[in-house]
Amino acid sequence: MNAFVRNLRVVRRMTAADIAQQSVYRGAWIIFMLANICMPIISLLIWRTALASGAQLPVDERYVTTYFVLLGFVTMATSSWMAGFLAQDIRMGKLSSWMIRPASLLAGFVANNLSEKFLKLFALVPMIGVVWWIFRDSMNIPAGPGRWALFAVSIVLGAMLVFTIDILIASLAFWMDDVSALVQARVIIASVLSGAVVPLALMPEWSRGFVDHQPFRYTVSFPVEIVAGQLTGSELLAGLGFQLGYVVVFAAIARLVWAAGIRAYSAVGA
Amino acid sequence: MSTLDRTWWHKQWRHARLWRRFFAQAVVRETHFRAHFLTTLLVGLVQLGLGIVPTLLLFGFTAEVHGWSRAEVIALVGVFQIVTGLMATFVAPNLNRMTTYLTEGELDGVLLRPVSSQFYLTLRWINVAELTNVASGIAVLVIGLVQADLSPGPGQVVQAVVLVGTGLVLLTAVWSAMSFLAFWLQSVNPIGFVFLNLMEAGRYPLVFFPVAVRTFLTFAFPVAFATTFPVRALAGDLGWGTVALGVGLAVVAMLLVRLVWRRGLLTYSSASS
Repeated sequence: MNAFVRNLRVVRRMTAADIAQQSVYRGAWIIFMLANICMPIISLLIWRTALASGAQLPVDERYVTTYFVLLGFVTMATSSWMAGFLAQDIRMGKLSSWMIRPASLLAGFVANNLSEKFLKLFALVPMIGVVWWIFRDSMNIPAGPGRWALFAVSIVLGAMLVFTIDILIASLAFWMDDVSALVQARVIIASVLSGAVVPLALMPEWSRGFVDHQPFRYTVSFPVEIVAGQLTGSELLAGLGFQLGYVVVFAAIARLVWAAGIRAYSAVGA
Repeated sequence: MSTLDRTWWHKQWRHARLWRRFFAQAVVRETHFRAHFLTTLLVGLVQLGLGIVPTLLLFGFTAEVHGWSRAEVIALVGVFQIVTGLMATFVAPNLNRMTTYLTEGELDGVLLRPVSSQFYLTLRWINVAELTNVASGIAVLVIGLVQADLSPGPGQVVQAVVLVGTGLVLLTAVWSAMSFLAFWLQSVNPIGFVFLNLMEAGRYPLVFFPVAVRTFLTFAFPVAFATTFPVRALAGDLGWGTVALGVGLAVVAMLLVRLVWRRGLLTYSSASS
């Protein structure tokens, strides 16, 4: 328990330091977030056109609109970009210096993740606000704070899930020379299976069983679905259960693989 | 006119010969990195396949949208793949380096050479492996045209090729202008992401967007000239007026970018000295 509290304290300190450091690049974050909402807006316009010209979708205009307006926010909030960097630290031997420090190398990556997201929020939320305002007449806004609270919980769980998946992929660098192809594959596969390209509700009928239960759904689509509607109370509970289950399972596997990797690690340059 | 060239034409010819050297060097270089060639090919194919998913899903719910059938949109995805492949081959490797050129002072070395610095910065590096995406784009285009039962005549093919050319020039001009902002902003790497994300709009016909956005995608971010108009030309429902408009816009855009470059260069004060 002591180690856990110590790690938490380290993460808190490092996050604060990172925020101070990263806020130098304020302009860059704004431009990054501008790029981040381009795709959801393009998809939003396309699917609204399809609906308006008589396409028979299984979801209505309000669902599609709410989905894509919130999508940019959720993909940002649950994203992780560290796999490539972590793999590089393992391969180049930067891990060595962390092994004699009183906290894990991963603490640094958690701090980096949290601090960048904190800064991105300031750039992204006003942009989402503007898009929301433009489409305010066809947004689904859940009554009461309950759904929003679940939305927040689900985003946190989703972020943890993406982060542990990234640890898993990066840990393969303990045994492989180059994991960049794997990282790229993860990004491409996840973009479709997480619902970041097309809402999973629009996936064909034959793929339903697989699409609804695979882990990537819980990284982006599920939190958005909580607000965009359609989920009944029991589906919500089951979904949250699945999400929590995936987080626990992936965290356990990541922990095992990471520990095995540390044992197999032979520092470069030592 | 420098003493190197007797006339303006000699200067252009010298640059064309230089570019041929760049290309030859890039081909030789690629043969040394065969794994890179293979991964580029594989990633390109997977991205092409996944990029077409929204289109296929969309046309699972309806037979046509604003007069566009599924086959025509597939042809358009093919043209999009050709255009993005060409940009990734000839333009992206250069404009992605713009920040380094300016912040590391590499531009100093370029300015000293007996070559147009803007030409050198925009076209020096070539990623030959990305040409595989142009090939797969041509394949998708042909599949789309066959499915749509279109057989364009030579005049229409000329129209389409010219339009793709103007689209490429226009998009390169926009991206260059965005990159040359580095003279004032220091770092422009994120601007490249904005450009690539906006490009995605080119996957869909122009009429799929609201009217205001259509204007934006025709004149401000002219991706319409690169994808929608060429496919409409192949379908035979586009006059030479649009082609002329595209050529005119391309000339104006090149002149404007030239101006931005000149103004930017005036503010450049080297990074190391």
